[in-house]
Amino acid sequence: MSRSRSTKTSSSSGSDLRVDPRPAEALVELRDVSLRFVTYTDKQYSLKKSALNLLLRREGPPPTNEFWALSDVNLSMHKGERIGILGFNGAGKSTLLRLLARIYTPTSGRLTVKGRVAPLIEMGAGFNPELSGYDNILLNGAMLGIRPREMKKKVEGIYEFTGLREFADLPLKYYSSGMHARLAFAIATEVEPEILLIDEALGVGDVIFVDRAKDRIKQLLAKSNLVVIVSHDLGSLHQMCTRGIWMHEGKVRADAPITDTITQFLTFTQGIDAKAAAAAGLKEFAKAAAESSVLAKAQG
Amino acid sequence: MMNYVRSSPSIPHADYFPQPRSAYGPRHWLSVIRSDVREFFQFWPVLQNMVTQELRTRYQRSVLGFLWTLISPILMMFTLTAVFSQLWGGDWKQYAIYLFAGQVPWSMFVGTLTECSGCIVSNEGLIRKIYLPKLIFPLAKSLINLSTFLFSMVALYVIVWLLGPKFSTAMVLLPVVVGLLTMFALGLGLVLAVMNTFFRDTSHLVGVLLQAWYFATPIIYGQNGLKPAMEARCLYNPAFPFIRMFQLIIRDGQWPSLTLFLAAAVIASVSLGIGYVTFKIHENKLIFRL
Repeated sequence: MSRSRSTKTSSSSGSDLRVDPRPAEALVELRDVSLRFVTYTDKQYSLKKSALNLLLRREGPPPTNEFWALSDVNLSMHKGERIGILGFNGAGKSTLLRLLARIYTPTSGRLTVKGRVAPLIEMGAGFNPELSGYDNILLNGAMLGIRPREMKKKVEGIYEFTGLREFADLPLKYYSSGMHARLAFAIATEVEPEILLIDEALGVGDVIFVDRAKDRIKQLLAKSNLVVIVSHDLGSLHQMCTRGIWMHEGKVRADAPITDTITQFLTFTQGIDAKAAAAAGLKEFAKAAAESSVLAKAQG
Repeated sequence: MMNYVRSSPSIPHADYFPQPRSAYGPRHWLSVIRSDVREFFQFWPVLQNMVTQELRTRYQRSVLGFLWTLISPILMMFTLTAVFSQLWGGDWKQYAIYLFAGQVPWSMFVGTLTECSGCIVSNEGLIRKIYLPKLIFPLAKSLINLSTFLFSMVALYVIVWLLGPKFSTAMVLLPVVVGLLTMFALGLGLVLAVMNTFFRDTSHLVGVLLQAWYFATPIIYGQNGLKPAMEARCLYNPAFPFIRMFQLIIRDGQWPSLTLFLAAAVIASVSLGIGYVTFKIHENKLIFRL
C-alpha cells in the first residue's frame, strides 16, 4: 500500500522545488497537515466564570486568539535521510518536530509516522530528578517503548559513550546540565530509533554537535535511519544533513538538497552576505557571497 | 471553517476521503480502545515506575516512612470512634468496626478523585516534552490510591479483628467490590482530570463537594440501620451501594443482595464509560490548555 512519491513542497511558495523520487519507504508522511494553536488570553478561565456567564447570558466563549502554527504541510521523509529544518524564530520548525514526536496532534490533515521515534526536543524530557542515573536510563527507555529487560543490556553502551558510569547511583538532580544532555543523547541514540528528532534551537545542541555525537549520528545513519534536526546553525546543518527544509510562517518554503535550501534561505535573508555566511561557517557560501558582492559592486 | 482546496494535482483526492478528523487513523471507538490496550501494555513499565516512585517519594523523607500509610488511618479511626461512640452511645467496638468498613474505602475514593483531578496539570512538564498516552496519569493516580488502600485495609483489619472478628465466606467478594469501587472512582476521576485542565477551579469545588458527599453517605452514622426516609435518599447516592457492600461484608459477614451488587456494577461501568469517552474526546486538546 505504501507508495513512494516524490516530495512536494507547499504549493503556496513560488519556489516549488522537487527532490528526486526516492525508492525508499517513507517513514514519515504528512498530508495537508495543519496545526492551530489557540492562545487563551485568559488562561485561567474558571468554572465559576463560565457558570456566571451562562447565568447572566454574557458573552459565552472566552476571548481567544487563533494562530496557525503550521498550515498545509506536505512532506514525506524517508529512510537514510538527514533532514535539516531551518527558518526564522516562530516559523514552525520546533512545532513540526513536536508534531513528529506526537506531542501535538494535527488540527487537520493526516500524519503517519512509522517506527520508533526518539525525541531530543527539550532538556530532561521524561527524566525524574529524584531517581538515580541508572533508574532514569530504564525509565527513559520505557518511555521510548523499550522494556526494562532489553534496556539493561544497553546500559553498558550508554555508560561508555557518556562516561557517567561512576555517577550511575547519583540522583539525577545532582547532574550538571552537560551530563544531563549527554545522558539524554546517549539514551536516544542507543535505543536505535528509526527516527531521531533533534531540536538544537532549544539547547540540547551543545553536546550534540561535538564530534563524538556527530560520529554517533553518522553511525545511526549507516543503519539507515531518519534524522531530523532543527537548528539555527547553518554550518552544522550543512555538514550533517542531506536535505533541507525551510519553514516560513508555518509553511514549507523550500524543500531541496541542503545546499540549495541554505542558498535560498540566505538569499532571502540578506542577499548572500559574505560576513554572515562566513560567520555561519559556510566556506563555499562565503566564497559565493564574495563573488556576488563583487558582482553587485561592478553592477552598481 | 478551513476547507482545503487542493492545488496540487499530484495528490490523489480519493485516498483519504472522507478526511479523518484526527491524525492517527480513523476515530472508531473499537479501534481507539484497541490502540489504548496496546499502548497500555507498551507503557506498562512507565506506569509501574510512576506508581512505585510516587509511593516511595511520598514516605521517603519521613521517619516512620511507609508506616504512615498505616498509622494515619488508625489514628483517624480512633479519633472518630472516640468522638462518635460517645455521641451516639452504644458499643464502641461495634461502632469501630462499622466505621472502619466505610471509612477506609471512602478515603480511597476521595484520594483517587482529588489526585486525578490535578494529574494532567501537575504533569505539564512531561506532557509538553514527550509523548505519553495521557491515560497513564489518571491510571497511575488510581493505582497509587488502590495500593495504599490495600495496605491500610490489611493493617486495619488486624486491629478490627481483635475487636471481635467475623470471618465469613462473603469476604471472597471483597476484591470484586474493591475493583468496582476503583472503576467508579477512576471514571469520575477521568472527567475531573479533563474539567480541571479546562477550568482550574474545579479542584477547589471538588474538595467541597466531596465533603458534602461524605456526610450524605452513611459512613459515620447509620450503624443501627437507617430511617426509611434516609434510606430512600440513599438510593440517589451513587456511592452508597459500594460503601454499603463493604459494611455488609466486613461488619455483618453477609452476602450483599443481588440488587445492591448489580447497582454497584452498573454505576461503576457507566462511570468508567463516561469518564473514558470524555477523556478520549478531549485528550488531544489538553496540551493546548496547559
